[in-house]
Amino acid sequence: MIAGSRRAARLRRVGFWALGWVGLGVALLAWQVAAAVDHSPLIPTFTSTLAALWHMLASSFVPSELVPSMIRLVIGFVVSAVIGVVVGLFTGYYRVVRDWTTAVFDFSRSLPTPLLIPVALVLFGLGGTMVVVVIASAAIWPVLINTSNATAALDPTLVDTARCLGLRGPFLLAKVILPAVSPKIFAGLRVAISVSLAVLVVAEILGGSSGIGYFISSAQQSFQITDSYAGVLVLCLLGWIADSVFLFVERRLLVWQRGIVGGGHG
Amino acid sequence: MVGGVAIAVGVWEVASITNVISSTALASVNATVAAIGAHAGALSSAAGQTLEAWAVGLMVATVAGVLLGTLVGRSRVADALTETLVRMMRPLPSLALIPIAILIAGLGLKMTAGLVAFTSFWPIFINTRYGVDQVESLLIETATTLGMRRVTLVRKVVLPAAAPLIASGFQVAVSLALSVTVAVELVGGTGGIGSYVLAAQQANAVANMYAGIVVGGIVGWMLNTVFAVLFRQLLPWAHRREGSQ
Repeated sequence: MIAGSRRAARLRRVGFWALGWVGLGVALLAWQVAAAVDHSPLIPTFTSTLAALWHMLASSFVPSELVPSMIRLVIGFVVSAVIGVVVGLFTGYYRVVRDWTTAVFDFSRSLPTPLLIPVALVLFGLGGTMVVVVIASAAIWPVLINTSNATAALDPTLVDTARCLGLRGPFLLAKVILPAVSPKIFAGLRVAISVSLAVLVVAEILGGSSGIGYFISSAQQSFQITDSYAGVLVLCLLGWIADSVFLFVERRLLVWQRGIVGGGHG
Repeated sequence: MVGGVAIAVGVWEVASITNVISSTALASVNATVAAIGAHAGALSSAAGQTLEAWAVGLMVATVAGVLLGTLVGRSRVADALTETLVRMMRPLPSLALIPIAILIAGLGLKMTAGLVAFTSFWPIFINTRYGVDQVESLLIETATTLGMRRVTLVRKVVLPAAAPLIASGFQVAVSLALSVTVAVELVGGTGGIGSYVLAAQQANAVANMYAGIVVGGIVGWMLNTVFAVLFRQLLPWAHRREGSQ
């Protein structure tokens, strides 16, 4: 009986999963048909975009555009994650620090991040460093705010009990505080990854000399529209892969939190 | 609160006086404030232009996101059909579409607002879908048993129950939309705060550049605050979800 219902549940899950891919297929087919009917040079068909993508992968696109972008993305994201978590823990744990920083942090995270690109251009010139700095300063906020809020909302009994049992300093942090706030940190990191990807592209369009953003924009300027679309497709896949890896790691690390995290909001 | 702001401003001033960051890259606090005063007209018309594109795009996204989110969230099959598509589109940095959008729609309000709408659609749609799907079936069954018709059910039961999640999706969209607006203005040079800041940078007018950034920050901060307060007033039944960015 139980085995039967479990099998039914699995079948249903597989069915939903399959429907998801059917939905994607329908959308791609709609793109193909619309572009083929419209015949506009500005909207290539899905198949010709795929062909352009295939061509790009065979050329120097991967080493000279994709790899630099990935390196910038990873460095910027890791820097923002580390600083965000450390500062967030600090401001969340100490009320005084939080009170003093709230207004400044509120303002900084409300600032539309693309506005920082001109400043980074002045400070670091064209190129990779500028892109990394912009990514880090944009992606830090969701991590910092989530970590800080979660740490501030920790049950005092939890921390006090651990203290009474003799846990101090780094042990208290590693064994009690971090596990308790990690679901929120993960939620913040997941937002930060998509922020990083978005900012990467604009920064590279405005001031890159290589990278996917640079590629998309220079393809557009030289009227290689199909290549532009193929670049966007690459980003689409990158975002999807990053998001999937994230969900996978989150589920592995936070098994005990299942049901609380991973609800698709934000 | 005020102390923290004072310290931040102090650090900025010290950094510019001591030339830790060269004066070609950092304007002093005084110079920035003076620039805001001197260019108040240009800055406020730039902010107005930014807000216009922001508002039009966000409005379209809200209507489409809530409508489609409700339809999809109420149906199991539609939910499953859109799942993969949403997971591919959501992390797509729509800013990558700027070059293509410029080609298709030209430079102008239509293009900016269109991109803003496309980007802000996702958090609103996803949260509405999720919120509508999460409504307790007991609520719906009770309403149905009491003879409530479908449209009334959605209007009187489903949407109010999903409203807190929709609101938090909308709040994400508010700041996202502003970022996209500014990004398009930077890349396309279509006017507004983004173009103002870039033009100042290209003219080596550092104080003007910082003036534009400060005004952009104030606009963003005001929008976030206004909607946070508004939703707390409008949705007293929503227990605030802390940390939803």
